[in-house]
Amino acid sequence: MSLRGSFAEATDAYQLPKLIRLDKNLYAACFTLMKMIPARFILRRAAQQGRLDPGTVIVETTSGTFGLALAMQAVHMDRRLILVSDPVIDERLYRRLTDLGAVVERVPAEAAKTAGGYQAARLDRLEQIMTDLDAAFCPRQYSNPDNPRAYSIVAEYLLECLGQIDCITGPVGSGGSMCGTVGQLRALLPECRAVGVDSHSSVLFGHPDGPRELRGLGMSLMPDNLNHRIFDQVHWVAPAAAYTATRQLHQRHALFMGPSSGAAYLAGRWWAQANPDALTVVMMPDEGYRYQDTVYDDDWLAARGHLGQPLPAEPVMVDDPAQPSGSWMAYDWARRAYHEVMSPVAAAQGEPG
Amino acid sequence: MWLGGSSPAPAHPELLTPGLTAGIGSAIAHHGELMQGVFEDDAGQLRRALVTMPLPGRGSQAVFYPSQSHWGVVGPSGLTKARRAAIYTLREFAAHPSPAKGGRVEITSNVPHGIGMGSSTSDVTATIKAVADYHGVSLSREEVGRLAVLAEMASDSVMIDDRVVLFAHRDGVVLETFGHRLPPMTVVGCDTAPGEAVETLSLPPADYSDAEAGEFQVLRGALRRAIATEDVGLLGKVATASARINQRYLPKPGLEPLIELCLRYGGAGLQIAHSGTIAGLIFDARRSRIDTDGCVLGIKELGFAVTDIIEPARPQATRVAQLAAS
Repeated sequence: MSLRGSFAEATDAYQLPKLIRLDKNLYAACFTLMKMIPARFILRRAAQQGRLDPGTVIVETTSGTFGLALAMQAVHMDRRLILVSDPVIDERLYRRLTDLGAVVERVPAEAAKTAGGYQAARLDRLEQIMTDLDAAFCPRQYSNPDNPRAYSIVAEYLLECLGQIDCITGPVGSGGSMCGTVGQLRALLPECRAVGVDSHSSVLFGHPDGPRELRGLGMSLMPDNLNHRIFDQVHWVAPAAAYTATRQLHQRHALFMGPSSGAAYLAGRWWAQANPDALTVVMMPDEGYRYQDTVYDDDWLAARGHLGQPLPAEPVMVDDPAQPSGSWMAYDWARRAYHEVMSPVAAAQGEPG
Repeated sequence: MWLGGSSPAPAHPELLTPGLTAGIGSAIAHHGELMQGVFEDDAGQLRRALVTMPLPGRGSQAVFYPSQSHWGVVGPSGLTKARRAAIYTLREFAAHPSPAKGGRVEITSNVPHGIGMGSSTSDVTATIKAVADYHGVSLSREEVGRLAVLAEMASDSVMIDDRVVLFAHRDGVVLETFGHRLPPMTVVGCDTAPGEAVETLSLPPADYSDAEAGEFQVLRGALRRAIATEDVGLLGKVATASARINQRYLPKPGLEPLIELCLRYGGAGLQIAHSGTIAGLIFDARRSRIDTDGCVLGIKELGFAVTDIIEPARPQATRVAQLAAS
């Protein structure tokens, strides 16, 4: 009934995922650059509300895809953008960001040795820049409620395409995509399940903080935008299992996605097989190009001992989410608040955990 | 046209200029809405909008008796919106070769007032059509919609009767066309506050939150699919979700018991009048058996009054077959 048309601008073309059927009850929602959804929404709304006039500089701390999305949208809106990053930023990403006109500041390498590491140094530098500028706007993806709010467009699209959705599985970082998509979808389908995928040594769902190799999911700090009550189940996937699943996604379905997509695919595929009458959608946040020299390189995988490891057939279901166990573990979070899970006794007595 | 070929004799012949005929128009009522909230237009601006649940069994008929000697429009007392509609419509025809100066509007209606069936919108719509009819012009449905909103500030979309639309009821514009018709539904209607009336314009417009705007966007996507695929089950979920959001603004007594009653009888969901007291239990009319008697009993047990049982329009082919058989 509707005529297919053109996009008003490049970032508009990044809004909707490609919805691809992987099995009779399993679909992948494949994004080229999922962070474009909150980046575009936050900047456009700020401009509408008069918080981002032409003289205002956008400032954010990021070394990932959110920065790229901001840089692209800043081109359309003709705004200056300063990104605070660190020396480990991917060199190709750095070149792309600067080509888009962004100023990328890297905190000195010595910061890694100080308390709080790069993350603290980046936040300090961000505050300094904000103070020095006459007019600055910081999108703050981890706390800005417009981040989850932006995903109504995804929930709308999934419902238009599928009508009924019983489970959404996806990686969790800022909390924006899963909490925003599922939270808004539940206005229509309150029973729709949410299965979050985290990485070992991420604090999001109770692991002790530690070094993490797997990129694109997991955090060292708890983001305000993560609403734990959204989640029915949480999976933790170790790097080797995530990489193997990412390659299987490519080999079996010709889908060239990043490792956070692979981790979500592993959990979603298992959930769909365990629930054959339910329709499952897996959120896949970015494509494989950034990982061609790593996840898609057998030599790189072999050098890290990730090659040839058999993928577990199912996760280890645990009773205590704070105890890391195996390369793939899962826990029935049951839509509870963080403190209800972590300090059940205190929560039952009505005290914050 | 509703009244057929001959116009009834005017009650006040002195207002009728000799030689001029009367104009006639009609409009159906509605049984509240399937969805109402805030939605983005093509430019990304949020507008209040709704999707009407038509009620073809009720409606208004208007007759416009023109006057060439008197400015102004007279009509039944209390129908100020219809009089205003006639005045605005007359202005539209100021450049017509033989415009009426003013006139008188008579309205016959079987639409109850104040319960959310759009009594004033059907009066207003019928009046606009009657004035246009007198001038020998058939206005487009969108034009009638624009004039209706001008006359009564907010208007359901009963005048757009050839398709299912998302209608910005305070701007008089169509935001989206979902399809040509609704899927076949049987709706068992009831009044959740019998005897109480709601004056639409006295209600403050619902102050929807930003989070609710996001939820309405999601409902819009689901409704798009429900109408395109004739999925009554999905449409019922959309109506129920919209009704639940509305509970924050004009709460319906017994909303959850009604939803529960509907689902117990195998229904799809509950639609409501977002500025009225009526509600409707939605069933897929293609189901082999719908226990409307049981539903009616359940509604009465909740202390509510049954209004109408809306059946889908019979397909033309069936009627032809019946005629051939008789």
